[in-house]
Amino acid sequence: MQREDFEQQITRQALEARTRRHFLQNCATGLGSLWMATQASAANPASPGHDPQNPLSPTPPPLPAKVKRVIYLHMVGAPSQLELFDYKPELNALDGKDCPASFLEGKRFAFINGTPKMLGHQYKFQRHGESGMWVSEQMPHLSETVDEICFIKTMQTEQFNHGPAQLMVHTGATQMGSPSIGSWVTWGLGSENTDLPGFIVLLSGGRLPRVGKALWSSGFLPSVYQGVQCRSQGDPVLNVSNPEGVTRNRRRQVLDTLEQLNRESHQQFGDPETLTRIAQYEMAFRMQTAAPEAMDLSHESADTLQSYGAEPGKESFANNCLLARRLVEKGVRFVQLFDWGWDTHGSNQSESLNHGFRNKCSQTDKPIAALLKDLRQRGLMEDTLVIWGGEFGRTPMRENRMGATMAFMGRDHSPDAFTVWLAGAGVKGGHSHGVTDPVGYTPAENPVQLRDLHATILHLMGFDHETMVVPYKGLNQRLTGVKSAQVVGDILS
Amino acid sequence: MIHSFQPRKAVSAGMIEKTLRVMRIGSPALTTACQHLPSTTALQQLPMNPAHYIALVTYILAGLIGDLDLSAAEPSQVDFTSQVRPILQAHCIECHGGVKQAADLSFVHRDAALAVIVAGQPKESLLIQRITSSEADEVMPPAEHGSPLSVTEIQTLTKWIEQSAPWQLPWAYEPPVRSEAPTVSTPEWCQQSLDRYVLARLDQEQLAPAPQAPPSQWLRRVTLDLTGVPPTPKAQRSFLQKVSNEGQTAYQTTVDQLLKSPSYGERWASVWLDQVRYADSRGLGADGRREIWKYRDWVIDAMNKDLPFDEFTIKQIAGDLLPAPTIDDLVATSVNRLTQTNEEGGTDDEEFRINAVLDRVSTVWQTWQGITFGCVQCHSHPYDPLQHEDFYRFAAFFNNTADCDLNQELPLLSVPLDPADNEKATKLDRQIGALQQSIWERESTLVDSRDGNWHMIDQMLATSDKATKVEVEIREGHAEYYTVDTVSSNTEITLTVSLKPDVQRLAAIRLTIAPGDPAKAKADSEWGFVLSHVQAAMKTADGASNPLTLTRVIGDEAKPFKNPDDSLNGKTNNGFAAYSRIHYPRTAIFVLDSPIDVPKDSKLEIKIRNGVTELGAFPLIAKRGYVAVSDQPIFNLLLNDPALVKDRQTLTARQAERSKIPSSRIPIMMERPDHLRRPTHVFTRGLFLTKGKEVQAGVPAALPPLPKPDPETEPETKPANRLDLANWLVNDKNPMTARVTANRIWARLFGIGIVATEEDFGSSGEPPSHPQLLDHLAVQFQNDFQWSVKQLVRSIVLSSTYRQDSKIRKELLERDGQNRLLARGPRFRMPAEMIRDNALFVSGLLSPKMHGPPVHPPIPGGIWKPFQGGDKWKTPEIGDPNRYRKSIYTYTKRSIPFPMFAAFDAPSREFCTPRRLRSNTPLQALMTLNDVTFVECSQAFAKTLQNVSDELEPRLRYGFLAVTTREATQSEVAALESLYKKCRQEQTNELDSLTAIASVLLNLDEIMSK
Repeated sequence: MQREDFEQQITRQALEARTRRHFLQNCATGLGSLWMATQASAANPASPGHDPQNPLSPTPPPLPAKVKRVIYLHMVGAPSQLELFDYKPELNALDGKDCPASFLEGKRFAFINGTPKMLGHQYKFQRHGESGMWVSEQMPHLSETVDEICFIKTMQTEQFNHGPAQLMVHTGATQMGSPSIGSWVTWGLGSENTDLPGFIVLLSGGRLPRVGKALWSSGFLPSVYQGVQCRSQGDPVLNVSNPEGVTRNRRRQVLDTLEQLNRESHQQFGDPETLTRIAQYEMAFRMQTAAPEAMDLSHESADTLQSYGAEPGKESFANNCLLARRLVEKGVRFVQLFDWGWDTHGSNQSESLNHGFRNKCSQTDKPIAALLKDLRQRGLMEDTLVIWGGEFGRTPMRENRMGATMAFMGRDHSPDAFTVWLAGAGVKGGHSHGVTDPVGYTPAENPVQLRDLHATILHLMGFDHETMVVPYKGLNQRLTGVKSAQVVGDILS
Repeated sequence: MIHSFQPRKAVSAGMIEKTLRVMRIGSPALTTACQHLPSTTALQQLPMNPAHYIALVTYILAGLIGDLDLSAAEPSQVDFTSQVRPILQAHCIECHGGVKQAADLSFVHRDAALAVIVAGQPKESLLIQRITSSEADEVMPPAEHGSPLSVTEIQTLTKWIEQSAPWQLPWAYEPPVRSEAPTVSTPEWCQQSLDRYVLARLDQEQLAPAPQAPPSQWLRRVTLDLTGVPPTPKAQRSFLQKVSNEGQTAYQTTVDQLLKSPSYGERWASVWLDQVRYADSRGLGADGRREIWKYRDWVIDAMNKDLPFDEFTIKQIAGDLLPAPTIDDLVATSVNRLTQTNEEGGTDDEEFRINAVLDRVSTVWQTWQGITFGCVQCHSHPYDPLQHEDFYRFAAFFNNTADCDLNQELPLLSVPLDPADNEKATKLDRQIGALQQSIWERESTLVDSRDGNWHMIDQMLATSDKATKVEVEIREGHAEYYTVDTVSSNTEITLTVSLKPDVQRLAAIRLTIAPGDPAKAKADSEWGFVLSHVQAAMKTADGASNPLTLTRVIGDEAKPFKNPDDSLNGKTNNGFAAYSRIHYPRTAIFVLDSPIDVPKDSKLEIKIRNGVTELGAFPLIAKRGYVAVSDQPIFNLLLNDPALVKDRQTLTARQAERSKIPSSRIPIMMERPDHLRRPTHVFTRGLFLTKGKEVQAGVPAALPPLPKPDPETEPETKPANRLDLANWLVNDKNPMTARVTANRIWARLFGIGIVATEEDFGSSGEPPSHPQLLDHLAVQFQNDFQWSVKQLVRSIVLSSTYRQDSKIRKELLERDGQNRLLARGPRFRMPAEMIRDNALFVSGLLSPKMHGPPVHPPIPGGIWKPFQGGDKWKTPEIGDPNRYRKSIYTYTKRSIPFPMFAAFDAPSREFCTPRRLRSNTPLQALMTLNDVTFVECSQAFAKTLQNVSDELEPRLRYGFLAVTTREATQSEVAALESLYKKCRQEQTNELDSLTAIASVLLNLDEIMSK
């Protein structure tokens, strides 16, 4: 028998070390699947099956998949489910009454203290579409598309402060430093457009989310899988423009010379990384034209612009929705939108249900509806998934920060039940999953954890969340964390 | 027959692995197979060959006969690590391990396993009875959990128990041993003792080492490794000259010179800062600026001074507990304050304080012990001998420091900006500390003293303003007020106290503020209180109200965050406080300026204003309290005692003197006083709200015990503290610290560690490629080099192993792509900081200035959108040296990483990052081609080239040499020349054409690689 070579020996020993870990399935981790084991070792979480010269090269998923691309719309600050989708007539009856003690036992709040008052719906609800889904009057355009939408009314999280809760939504962990969903997916699948980043982030609302780039970080995955923030103003991608005075022709000449010299070093040192570097410079050169082109809305028809409410050159949620469509059309794997300004405590006008919240609704309602329709019209809905949500829900009680009556209407953070919706490939349209209690405070039926949502997204994209793992710091790390997660079968079409 | 069955594990692992290589990813069935490898599932997936079949039948028959001839086993000694543990890991530990301990049985620890093992008597051992049982409901493992053990495996276990079941810890838990240097084929190749271990392995693999690298290649490598920047063409020429004159000596003197360069400290500090998650911001909710750069400078200086690693460790973990610590010792403890804090409104300070404590535990384990301890937070370690409780015993070392997630980052230390002031500041701080302690001790004897003749109050009325409701109850014989339900910010509580007739004079009032739920608060602290303003008045029977003059407040700790006397000053919100949490009742005495007579039937009215609200959400309200009064004159006598008055004056003078020294205020470690000690509990399933049993500080039993207290100076029962922990980490007997540290240094020099999973030396990490080499380095480092990092580095960079040519031979690339066998010199892409510093250095822009506050080099517009608007990024103008400082001085904000660093895989420093990945991406290309700093570099480099000569070729040759430390070949020169000519033909001026050349040079693969 031929003696195994050193590399094989180390790989085997590592594999043996990992096989010892399979007992952890229920508590700490599952064993790296074969899928992982052949591709990544603890020493080197290299990309799964990508062309060594191109870590973003498209790779088929290990399991059948319905979704190829994702657009994730995050309403930063946590929109009130009780003013949008979770209609609770009994809540209106309790409006202004003292919150029952049973609602407060064992609960921790960010701002509520002692006994707050209950707060009824601030807006009217009506049934819409053939499916008869309830939507509030603040989303008139979206109401027309409810038959596309699958609501999860009983989403739960473990966090009730924005920073950790936003991290929970995007990375499955409460602290900074883990890869976000977009990074996992891009790592797993690469991108169909290798002239653009595979994972693109678009911001609106005037502010960066609290924990900033940690929300689109690649964590312990290679940095090529981190989200790339693209902008409507300035360079659409950082440093994508040549420096002043450098023409595209000159850049080409420089790159040709660079390649020639790098090939000579490859001759000298025999390092395959050198060849990879040559390929990256070529991709960068292509990105220099592809990114500005993708981000340029000026060639969209007047009708399209009008339907989204988009204005070329502006930074707005409407523009970002249209950009998201353009990007998925070009094969970008994961497009993440963050829209700031949904934290409606009632502590000031812009953070109140009766003022700021209405503005946020009117800024997002029309573009989201347009996006869903546009994706449908272009056939992109067949393999694109759109997700909408915040980082937690809001209390059925009125906030009483510092024990005082607030100047405006508002609700505190509530982690036990909030609404997230999905639309597009692989999910039922005009469907609602989970039922909350009569005041929309906690789940009455079918609670769904964020890790279940993560498991479901991965499932739709062709991954088993238990086997999509990267060994890091002694643990097979996965998006769904160490607790057990379930794919939400009821929402799948 | 049996032999064909014996290597089952190896065969199935190998077969599956091969199958996989062919099959591509994805079959769910195979996925399962791997998870349970080796298992029945795995075997069922594979065609069973006849030999297996026969073996299985034999085995079943043997089982039916019921009595295998176990004694027929060979007499040789069974090795636990290589023979027994793998069997237990494969078949038993899933259910009887650290996490799941079915039937309370675990095979992770010998003690636990002895429940089913009778050492020396296999037949009496339940383990053997169960694995050989023929009963379907008895046999272990149960059929649904995997295949039965093979005959050979059973024989191994039997023999092992016969030999009295000796146990061994996993390799990293056993101390490193000094070994005889192995015999090698070519002893003369070995310039350092470590080379023998490398060559012995190459001999075994029948591989020859690479030839020695050309001197320039070695010089480049070692200069980059030791100083973070490449050699200049001048340094290269002089080295070549020296080599031809002095031969080998040239290498040694060069290394010694490089080790003396101040850049050495900057390069190696950067490695350490990744471990200890250094950042200039606080992380999480608001990620505000944190002033803590003095710690970064301390690390740079420690590296340059070659502070031995044991001292380096002790100062960081417990510098504050050293006898008479210096300013520097205290600065070192800031490492523990690099944890994230959460300033977001509505966040529970206790939750994030605990997160910080747990992160300190994990970081110490990760950084010093190479073990991921985090999983023990929730349950016992699944396969390493670490118990759930061990985590909390360890956390207890860190659980009693004064910091508690406060926005002001208290406690802070004023560190002189000019280190020349350190000595003076240290002296003043010691005087101030001693005075504070002694004054408080003298004053506080009164708090509980019998001399006070304290009268408890049993009749009291309580009212409050705002929405806060208060009530009064009788508790343990005295009247106590407490708030009910909602408490409002800025609540004022008014207590109307009925004085008993025997209180005829009033000299002092004692207020005790307790938690709302005193029984629970010790373990689960509550939000505390700040008595922002306390006023008292005597209400006589005729309705008159006479305000009392209070002159002094004596609190119950020597060095409180807030000055108790401020309770008497209505203009501040400060005062006597439990800030910001309360565990125990807290007491303060309010002294009248002179005792007054109490008219008959008078009532004492006390108004307490609670003016502080934490994080915009939590009113810090004195939720429960009671009053006592004293009629004794001793308070005024004592407060006016001339010695005490003088000491107070001296204290004020020293404090004033100290505050004149220009300083940076940085967070440090400081212990809470013993009487306010926080207890540490096990968190059930890792959740801080469900506290289990209380624990004392200690280390896991699987590791050597803490050093015993010194019988001369310390009581035997002295509870262990951080200083004991620090000493334990660098104790001779600690098996991990030296190995982990040596491995880290090795990995930075060779690109991959001897243990590739630097973060995991446990059973789930990768085994060392050269176990004896690792031990050799560790033993040398700890003993021969007395923890000198510079000596360790020196021995490595002068080794023949390190001096090899880095050219990758084709056959080697296929066989050992990662260079684990070390048959060539290291070559890999440099870390982000070095790439940036290199570009600045070769272009002549790099500022040599060391130390100081973080700097803000250019970043693209639109990047800087901090959550807190006040955190400005002010880029220095072109020409200002702060625009071109070494990367280590760049402001590190966790939520907005410096774009160049983020593109090149630098971590954003939220947590310990034991090692970095290396990726190769188009965004990196865009960065080095177009980013402002790199563009300025190519322009500056072009000017340098212009000044080299009037001729083109010398310019190009110089440029190439400066960037790669080697002479360009003719064709390389020709390629550059051709570009230059094209530029000129297109009417580009000379400087711009040279800028194009510079841009090529600064983007070469060779400039990115060392």
